[in-house]
Order: sequence, then structure tokens, then C-alpha cells
Amino acid sequence: MQKLFESDVKGRQALEIFLESFDLSLDQDIEKTYVKKSSDGKIIATGSIAKNVLKSIAVDKHYQGSSLINEMVSYLMEECYQMGETHLFIYTKPESYKAFEFLGFKKITETNRVVLMENKINGFQDFLKNIKDKELTSPSAGIVLNANPFTKGHYYLVKRASEENPWVHVFVVWENQSTFSNVERYNLVSKGLKDLKNVSIHKGLNYIISAATFPSYFISGKDEVIKEQTKLDLKLFGDKIAPSLGINKRYVGKEPFNNTTAKYNETMKKVLPDYGIEVIEIERKKIEDQIISASTVRRLIYEGDLEKLKCLVPKSTFEYLKSPASQGVINKIKKDYNEKKLV
Amino acid sequence: MGKLRRTMMYVPGNNPAMLTDAGIYGADSLMFDLEDSVALNQKDSARLLVYQMIKNNNYAQEVVVRINSLESDLGATDIEAMVRAGVDVIRLPKTETAEDVKKVENIIESVEKKIGIEIGHTKIMAAIEGPLGVINAYDIATASKRLIGIAIGAEDFVTSMKTKRSKSGVELLAARSQLVLAARAANIAALDTVFSNIDDSDGFKEEVKLIKSLGFDGKSVINPRQINLVHEIYKPTDAEIEDAKQIVYTIKEAEAKGSGVISLNGQMIDKPIVERAKRVLELSGLSEEVM
Amino acid sequence: MKINKEAIAGTLESSDIQITISKNHLIKNTIYLESPVKHLYEVAIKKVIMNTLEKHQITNANVKAIDQGALDCTIIARTQSAIYRATEKKEINWEAID
Repeated sequence: MQKLFESDVKGRQALEIFLESFDLSLDQDIEKTYVKKSSDGKIIATGSIAKNVLKSIAVDKHYQGSSLINEMVSYLMEECYQMGETHLFIYTKPESYKAFEFLGFKKITETNRVVLMENKINGFQDFLKNIKDKELTSPSAGIVLNANPFTKGHYYLVKRASEENPWVHVFVVWENQSTFSNVERYNLVSKGLKDLKNVSIHKGLNYIISAATFPSYFISGKDEVIKEQTKLDLKLFGDKIAPSLGINKRYVGKEPFNNTTAKYNETMKKVLPDYGIEVIEIERKKIEDQIISASTVRRLIYEGDLEKLKCLVPKSTFEYLKSPASQGVINKIKKDYNEKKLV
Repeated sequence: MGKLRRTMMYVPGNNPAMLTDAGIYGADSLMFDLEDSVALNQKDSARLLVYQMIKNNNYAQEVVVRINSLESDLGATDIEAMVRAGVDVIRLPKTETAEDVKKVENIIESVEKKIGIEIGHTKIMAAIEGPLGVINAYDIATASKRLIGIAIGAEDFVTSMKTKRSKSGVELLAARSQLVLAARAANIAALDTVFSNIDDSDGFKEEVKLIKSLGFDGKSVINPRQINLVHEIYKPTDAEIEDAKQIVYTIKEAEAKGSGVISLNGQMIDKPIVERAKRVLELSGLSEEVM
Repeated sequence: MKINKEAIAGTLESSDIQITISKNHLIKNTIYLESPVKHLYEVAIKKVIMNTLEKHQITNANVKAIDQGALDCTIIARTQSAIYRATEKKEINWEAID
């Protein structure tokens, strides 16, 4: 087994060609790729890892009877475990998912082009069980927030839903790929929504806008890829998560800035009604004619403009940003901004 | 004379399928590898696997385990595990000096004492894979009573010599010759290196003929197909077998009669001739029948 | 021995068994097994794994075993390896290994 390095241009080209014959490609979020070659140097098998997701796995059909797929999956799993990732997912095509069942993976959901599987036998079931352990009031509304950090805009969205529905379920995106950590974001969301009595807050974990269901949210990719992933994420939400909580409405703020999120929202409006879920898109709250966005808030944090900041975030978030506990994330924001990375 | 070691089959230590099947191919010895064929992050797992395999399976052949070098922590733990498992021979990679061998011996002895088995039960084989080792070959070969053989590891050797392997094998000539010389002077086995191109049987046969001429006892093999090829080449011709039988029968008769000097066809039969005859019979599998 | 982290040992290749060990919140060990010979050997395979766990004084393991026709000695070796990785123990306890 050989690791395929970023700088190995020829190798990557050969791999792209190999993958194309399976109608696969290397997604942008892939971190590691491995190939196995025959004695005359031809690629006969490949597999890649993107955080805790195994994808772009393919074996040359002349070798398909052999245990190459077993070898590849074992190897990838071992790599993931070494990196501390033990809850693993597989992205594969509907035609090939059976092979992975024998390797201990269980199907969670599928679209007509992708099957999502995980290695924890009751992973998804346990997730559904845990979010349901509070009293169920149905029907209810669902909102998915990244909240990086929690702003008045977020509050406004949730408040609106809580006024229009008996109950609201807020899911916090759990992937740790944002400036504020998932724990920080969750805490700010909790504190910020404390006064709303009909709201429960859940961790999205691996099942809502995650590296497994929608990696393009974090690292953008080609449009068709975004579309496929969006369909998968929404299917899991509409087909399994929403029904188990009695959610029949999903609230979302209009997205003027981010292309991927805008596309996601567009697809959501088309797809969720098929699951009996109404999508309610709300205009973003404005303060002094400026849309409140988390990215604006981060910029203000960088600039240290406390006055403006106070207008855009609720007291709970503001208090946190003044406290010593937020020193870490504030330094991170400053660093990111100085390096001119998109904050 | 000693044990036949025409073929030593190399088996990657982290592969249960190959470890289980290793014995069925007819090699004279088996070598389970914990070193280069096992990824660093699997060394712990491979060690336990080979341990359980040796402990629980009755291999008919001699079982050798190639441990990791003592430079890391791995080597010492490998030795403890393998001695406890009851391995026949510990093979030390990249041996450069007699001291390397003595270090291994010390660890083996302390484990044998700890678990209460016969001191000296576990043997050692030294793989020489670099120029310094070749130069020290005789010292290495005589470094311990447990040392039953020395082997040449060509890949690493050729790299240290800043050259490459070729069909003629000229780059290995000095090393091979030195190794056989040392082994013979020390009265232990000399084993040749692996031939990795399993599809080139002609090239393989050439190499086996070469090392047989040089006096090697045998060769490491990585594929069952190679085993038969080696055994074929190491097999004496019918004429050689006949001659050998004659010599041995003559000796037996002479011993029965109590004769002193023995001759056959006008030629004196002295010890080297007898040894060689016995060797021929051994290689043809006729030792029991004739002797 | 205490399980510190989730660990995996062995591969999915023929004659091998892949063992994953994590902590469960019970006071007993649980084993989930997939095997091509499950219908014949499920009890036997689980017994081997259970014995190995008990010999190493593990009482709260959640074990997932994906078998590809492994012999007992392989099952034992892989389970032991997973135990050592999960408990992060460096020293081998030879009495228990036997």
C-alpha cells in the first residue's frame, strides 16, 4: 500500500483517470489517499480518508474477486484509528454498498447516487434515541445552526420559530471546523436561547451538516458534488430525523454571502416538502440597515470594535467575548484575519 | 552436516492466512518476519500473532523468527515473546559485529532462565546486510554457540555499497564468498538472500545454481513456486548418488570388519569424502535407507 | 485493566479477524460478531473472545468482531492486541497472554 502525496502530480493524474472509470473523483475535503499497484506499476485499488469518512474507494474489476477491498478498508480504518477517529463513515455507490456490510458497516441512508454507512452498529439509532429523550411536542419546527458565534440574528430566527410553533428543535452543527469550537458554539446557543421556553437544543454530531453528510459545507467543491451531498444530508433529515421528532417545518435565514449555503437552502426548499416539511426562509435581521451575520461579528471581534459588537450579539455572547475564557478563540480570529484567511 | 536448510520460506508476520499455511509448501525452514514486512504501527499486533501461532501450531519445520533490531525497544520484546512461544531460531537483522550477537544471546538466556526452559534451547541466526557485517563475518559466525547460520541480505547490502542488483550478481560476489568462507570456517550454515522477482524463474534458477556452486546451504524464498526449483537444483545427480552409496556401503563394511584404512577403486576414502557422500544422500532423502 | 480509549486490531483479510474494543457502560462484556461461519461458530468464536477478555480482567468491554474465517490462535492474538491498545498498557502480562 502506498500513500499518494499531494506533490506527486503524475500519480494523482493516474489516479484521477483510474477513478473516472468508476465515475468517482477525489473530493476537495480528502486528507489522505492510498493506492495499491500491481507489479507493473498500474493502480489496482485506491481509497481515501476525509476526517472520519472513507470515500473514493475503488478496486480494478480484474481483482474484484480477491480481498483487495478488505485490505483497503482495513488499512484505511487502521489509519483513522491511529488518528483517534473511531466513529467511521463510508460514502459509496448503491451498487457497491453490500461489500461494506460484510466489513462491519451499516447503511444509514441513501440517495440514488450515494449510500452513507457507519461502523457503529447502532450509531444513528442511538443518536435518534438521545435527541428524543425529552418530552415530545409535535408538530414542531427544526433549525440547524452553525452559530459561529451566536448572534442576535440567530436569536431572531429561533424566536420567530418559537412564536409560530408549539416546539422548536435547534441542532448545532458539531463538526469542529469553525473558528469557535463546537462546545463554545453550543454553550453560546444554549445561553442565548435560555428565555425561550419551548426550545430544545441538540448536538448535530455526525448526522447533520457533518463531514459525513455534507463536507462541502466546510470545504467547497464542485457544484454537482455540493448538490449530491445536499440531497443526502436533507434526506437523512427529512426521512429519519424530522419524523422521529415530529418536525414539519424547517426555518432558515436567507443566505446572501456564502454560495454553498445558498445552494443548500435552494435545494432544501425543493426537497424537504417531499418529506412533508415546509421550509420557511426568513429575511435576515438588520441592525441599522446592516444584515447581522456571524462573519461580520468575527470581523468586529478582530477589529476590537466593542460598541458595534454589542449591537449585533446578545448579552450572553457579549459577556463571553469579554471573559478570559474566550481569549483562545479571539486570538484565533486575529491570527486568521492577519493571515488573510476568510474568517 | 546438520540440518537441511535448502529453503527458508519468508512469511510476513502480520498475515494470519500465510502463517497458517506456511507449513504445507515443503520448505525446509520457515521464517516468520516481524521486521521489514510489518508496518511500524502493527509491530505489537504481529508479535502477538506470531507468538500465538508458534505456541499453538505444531509446525513440522524449523521455525525461525526475524526480530526487529535491538536498536529500538521492539527487538528485546520480540525476543522475549518468541522464546516464550518456543521458537527454534531467532534471526537478527543487520548484524554488524560479534557484539550484536552477544547482546541477543544475553537476552535469550535471561528469558530462558525466567521461564525455566533448557539454557541453549533457542538458537540464533545472523543476517548480514552491510559491508561492516561482511568484513566481520567470521567474528559474527563464531560469536555464540547458539549461532547456527549466517545469511546475506542483498537489498540493504547493495544499497550500502552504492550499487544495484544485476543478473550476474557480481556486486554480491565478495559478500557471498566472504560469508560462505566464514560459515565453513565456523562450521555453521550459509544462507543466501531472497530473489524477489517471482515471475522470472530462469533468473531464479541461474542464481540458485550460482550460490550452490559457491557452497551455500540454501536460500530464502518468498513464494512456494521457488521451493521446488531450489530443491531440484540441490538434488544430486543419479551418478552422484550411486557414488555416494558406494562410499557409504564401503565404510559400513569396513567398520563391520574392523579394517583400518579404507579404499575404494584404488582411492583412499578419508573423512572429507565420507562427509560429502553422506551429504549427497541427505540431499536426495536417502540417508535413512542407506546409513 | 482499564479501557482508556477505543482501539482496533487485526484486518478484514481472509483468515483474519478485526477486533474493535471500546468501553461500555455495563458491568459485563458485550460482543457483536459478523462472520461467514456465524451460523456454525458464533458461540465458539464469542467464547474465545470472552475468555481472552476475562483473562486480562476486562469486564466492561464493547467488542465488535468482524471475522473472515480466523483460527482460534488468531482470534486470541487480535483480541489481546486490541486489549493492549485500548488499555494503553506497555508491559506484557505473560501469564495472562498464555
